Amino acid sequence: MIEALFAAVLGGLLLLGLHRKVIARVQQRPGPPVWQEVLHTLKFSFKSTWVPETASPGLFVGIVLVAIGIWTAALAVVLAGGSILIIFGVYMLHKIVEHGFGLSSGSPYGKFGAVRSVISAASEIPLFVSVAAIAVFTGSLAISDIVAYQAVNGPLLIIAPPAAFAMYLVILSKMPFSPFAIVEGKELVSGYKTEHFGVWRAGLEVANAIKTSVLLGLFLLLFLGPLSPFAFVVAIVILLVSLSFVCAVTPMLAPFDSVTIQALVTVVMLGYLVLLGVIP
Amino acid sequence: MSSLGGAPWYILEFGDELVYFTPYTTTLLILALVFTVLALVSRPERQVEALFGTDAIYAKDTTVDQMRFRRFMAIACGCASMGAVVTGDLFNFTLFVALVGITNVGIVAAVKNRHVQNAAFQYGLVALTATVPLFAGAGIVAATTGTLSIVALASGTVPQAPFFARALLCLGVVGEGMAPFYAAKAEMFRAPGAPYVIMCSLSSLLIFLRVAEVVMVI
Repeated sequence: MIEALFAAVLGGLLLLGLHRKVIARVQQRPGPPVWQEVLHTLKFSFKSTWVPETASPGLFVGIVLVAIGIWTAALAVVLAGGSILIIFGVYMLHKIVEHGFGLSSGSPYGKFGAVRSVISAASEIPLFVSVAAIAVFTGSLAISDIVAYQAVNGPLLIIAPPAAFAMYLVILSKMPFSPFAIVEGKELVSGYKTEHFGVWRAGLEVANAIKTSVLLGLFLLLFLGPLSPFAFVVAIVILLVSLSFVCAVTPMLAPFDSVTIQALVTVVMLGYLVLLGVIP
Repeated sequence: MSSLGGAPWYILEFGDELVYFTPYTTTLLILALVFTVLALVSRPERQVEALFGTDAIYAKDTTVDQMRFRRFMAIACGCASMGAVVTGDLFNFTLFVALVGITNVGIVAAVKNRHVQNAAFQYGLVALTATVPLFAGAGIVAATTGTLSIVALASGTVPQAPFFARALLCLGVVGEGMAPFYAAKAEMFRAPGAPYVIMCSLSSLLIFLRVAEVVMVI
């Protein structure tokens, strides 16, 4: 587990660095080196750290540990082939973590980032629809069962493409610089993470790295099935580059538009569930 | 599909009522516990705001009385959330969900600010109304299947709960957990008290997550 955790952190940071690099190249900028996020995290780890005078100290510090804890638990669930309902829960709890980050500091920028994180909760509904569609086809929500189902019947990406699209949208909404990343809008400085710096920020970067690894890896397991380690790495890079391309060519939406689009996708996905017979 | 959240690790029996700990319900329980402890040990932040029309800024303070009441409500809310996520009885689930709704109103309504009180009043109306579909859903399940035990309903030995009843349950839970969605108006964030406001959001999220499991298995 320790090795997997280390790989998820390092891999996630490199993927986030690659994400920035691809966005920059699409926009005809040189961009930072791919290992920039690793350097960022190391830099924050050794910067001087304190808790702002206006912050709620317990929550300000505790929420960093919660962020790392929930994504480490999600990684453990993925490795154990456990229920995707738990991952779904962790994904939704990440909203509460963003909420906690923003509110605990007392900063107005953090506060509005936190408020936006709750507003953007609409992004989670397509994930639930995706989970329901997977359950219809595989008859199970255990990741190990879903992977085994695909080994026999072929990838769910072909069997249930709308579910894959919904999950893709969910992952896109969690990527930095995405059209749905309203919690980190530049008009809010850095949104919910504005006041977290030093070791606290390094902890947040680590949590985001694990989150990226878990979500991208989970998408491949759920929709492509069993892959060799080499094919897994190639597929995760292709998936990331596709996400980066969308982020590079799409401006950040206004909060209202972001929620509206995600709500519309949810309506379409509910129609898909009606077609599948989940909703009578 | 009787084990959405994994096979139960431990089942605690109170007569014919069960409290069961699957990987899923245990994860939710631990999270409720962690945030309840955070609400217990954290002091509220001091929100910094700009004075409109000037370049002055000021930090808001929280009175001790207000802090104590909101902390009590947040802890009660955490306990209700813990009950809602582990209970194996549908009626107990609806009771815990209703308690989450009441405590959420309490957390918001304790602030003596016109805008926050307005938000609490509107939320209270929604939470109050939502008890009708919530308990109606549980009632219809009991009438059509003869049991309120989630474990018995999930086992397939009794008829499946009607879709209408499950939809009413979902509607009731959404109404009781509506508080965080008032964030769109930002009124409940005018007052400092992050550890307590977060408990509103967390408890709502936990009951949404639990009802998702419940309606899929019953």
